[in-house]
Amino acid sequence: MNDKAIHSNENQIVGNRQGKSSNRKLPAWKIVFKRELTELWIWGKGIYLMLFYSIFLGVSSFVFASNNELSLMPPREMMYLTLSNAITVSLFIALIIGADSFSGERERSTLEALLLTPANRRQIVLGKFLASISLWPLAYLITIPFVVLLSQGNNILVTALLTGAFLGTLLSLAFTGFGMLVSIWSNSNRTSLFVSLTVYLLFLLPVQFPGGAQTGTMGRLLKQLDPLEGADHFLEKIIVNNRTVGEVLPFLWASVIFAVLIFVLLFLFAAPRLNLDGGIPVKIRKNKSRLIVTTLLAIGLIVSMGISPAQALQDSQAPLQITVDIQSKAINTGEKLDFNTTVINSDTTASAPLIVAMNIINLDANGDVVDPEDWSPQRTQYIVPLDAGQSASQTWTINPILGGNYMMYMVVIPEPSDQGSTSQPVASSGIHLTVQAVTRLNPGGVLPLAIGIPILLMLGLVLLLWFRRRGIDSGNS
Amino acid sequence: MSQSKALNSPSQVLLAEDLRKSYRRRPALRGLSFSLQAGRILGFLGPNGAGKTTAIRILTTILESDSGIFFVDGISSEYPQRIRGKIGVLPESLGFPKQITGIELLTYFGQLYGRTENEARTHSAELLEEVGLQERANSLVGTYSRGMRQRLGIARALINDPTVVFLDEPTLGLDPRGQQELLLLVQKIARERYAGVILCSHLLSEIEDICDDVVILMSGQIIASGSVTEVVQHSKQNMLRVHIPGSFVLDAQRTLEALSHIKRVSSGTGTAGWLAVEQDHSTDGASPKEQPDNNRILEALIRAGIPILSYESEGGLKDVFLQLTDEVIK
Repeated sequence: MNDKAIHSNENQIVGNRQGKSSNRKLPAWKIVFKRELTELWIWGKGIYLMLFYSIFLGVSSFVFASNNELSLMPPREMMYLTLSNAITVSLFIALIIGADSFSGERERSTLEALLLTPANRRQIVLGKFLASISLWPLAYLITIPFVVLLSQGNNILVTALLTGAFLGTLLSLAFTGFGMLVSIWSNSNRTSLFVSLTVYLLFLLPVQFPGGAQTGTMGRLLKQLDPLEGADHFLEKIIVNNRTVGEVLPFLWASVIFAVLIFVLLFLFAAPRLNLDGGIPVKIRKNKSRLIVTTLLAIGLIVSMGISPAQALQDSQAPLQITVDIQSKAINTGEKLDFNTTVINSDTTASAPLIVAMNIINLDANGDVVDPEDWSPQRTQYIVPLDAGQSASQTWTINPILGGNYMMYMVVIPEPSDQGSTSQPVASSGIHLTVQAVTRLNPGGVLPLAIGIPILLMLGLVLLLWFRRRGIDSGNS
Repeated sequence: MSQSKALNSPSQVLLAEDLRKSYRRRPALRGLSFSLQAGRILGFLGPNGAGKTTAIRILTTILESDSGIFFVDGISSEYPQRIRGKIGVLPESLGFPKQITGIELLTYFGQLYGRTENEARTHSAELLEEVGLQERANSLVGTYSRGMRQRLGIARALINDPTVVFLDEPTLGLDPRGQQELLLLVQKIARERYAGVILCSHLLSEIEDICDDVVILMSGQIIASGSVTEVVQHSKQNMLRVHIPGSFVLDAQRTLEALSHIKRVSSGTGTAGWLAVEQDHSTDGASPKEQPDNNRILEALIRAGIPILSYESEGGLKDVFLQLTDEVIK
């Protein structure tokens, strides 16, 4: 080949290079997302984690349903606990996936090749993030049949499923992002997992506090500040206690602010600075005090959002009446009983804020003492002051847990005006309950689901591996 | 420095100007400046801790320099994303996902460099053929041998038809045949693709064999650079060591001292029967790479009837490297 020909060839090569360097056909995040999704679900941890998750959910649902058969747990509480567990375990899984995303690649020496491509770093992070959160929709899909079955036709089902989906999505986004953020800044997978799981456990810690500590002012404050606890409390109040979103909204702010904060940090700050060696960027190290101030401001914001407007109390004690709509009932354990109460203010002045409480006593002198908490997740309801002649109705549900003869009665108590005063409770007529104990091997019909879903997932896994192997063997990988 | 300076020479594909980098006040690079032409292979040498990895990381945009500038194919280091589209890199410790086939991996990276899936797949198949992995294109990377993974790494580095290719210890851990095949592949990349290649290696013989140019780094700065021939010629010791029976030492000394290009012959090397023959290239300008002088020495001894038990040549890149780095340490 002569010199001219060589140069012509060289120019052609250079020309080809220039021609190919433009017009990217797919955005980088989509390419990374597809690759990560395949890696997570076909060869990675995804399907195994889901298998573990479905087994966990099956076992816990079976236990809940068994308790329900013994009337230890009403459907609303089972739904709440199932959703709460589903979210807690999904977050744990999301955190593991997120925490491995970059530090894991660093350890496996696969990150450098990715960083050497012209793909925008933020798009790389976005692609990985979307793939990582793909676990949550499937986890929730697996959860839905369990919740439907455990609801036993309760009318809160749709609200429960929507609330669970919203909270789970919000927290999955936040915790996956948090795991990835730690992973971007960690130079080893061990550090990343340790930091992520420590923070996760810290968020779970308030549950371990004694009951008093959880219900006092500090307990309430902690719940409001803790995104995990706040969301859980929100879920419980909506499903179990019939509260409206407006009433328990303050418990949601911590999760929302946490998610927003993580998103800002992940996509606006950490992603563009993604590097091979990890480590917290100098900018953050230098602005530590500014970061602390921002965190404190966020805490202040959450607290201020949680302060309910003070309600004007009317200091009056009017003659009150409380009635129930049934007199007696024969029922089996595991069945639920719905009834209503009506509180009437027959005085000429407005009442104080009122509290209606449920009481159950065993009529058998040798029988067990009844704890109404075991029979109903809601043994107290609070009513705003009633105007003169006004009445208010309340709906109650109980699930008798033990066979026997019981008397149930309701009392209405006006709220005392100050520390030194008291008030007179007023009782309703009693409801006589005759409870027949019943147990079943397949409580709530949950057994086929508890066994079937893990088996289906295992079959799916085997099929996936088989198709993959066949693809490789036939050269169509 | 302006961008146009880098564009003045069309075949210059890489130009580094006064690159500096420190880690917590400890300087790792102290003013690195060099250039690379298209179609040439540049050996990047230096002892451990000399700053090679830092230099490569800066030039491949993985790390930012504290000061200085570099250009790849005329693109300034101020545009790292654009530079990444022009370079191909085989890092020293390149990991691969094990549960993916060779062609899937290359297709993925091809797409990240802007090709459609079909284009990337076709191009990947061509590259796998170029590196001799076409038979294993659909095998999982986890089943590849080390040599195959290195070749796959090179294919990945070529996925964007780069202007400059960085190869960091590409032959590390390979058997001699694997090393040879890989070096031939590196030569092919430079010659047929007309790419500039930067080859980092501790195996000086392979640098000497295939590189056109060499840069020797020590304590973050260049202590020697130029074509391999030029650098080797700078060596003070172009030495041939000959092993002969002890009784022939004096005869051999006399025979060799009579040759015109011999500077000094000494037997005091500590081992009986070994003669150190120092040559003076300033007299005839012979290239030590071609080694005609060594042949003349051996021929003279044979003609004088002196049996040669063995011999070893000194004065190659290895000796230059040792000598230069030794001088800096002293």
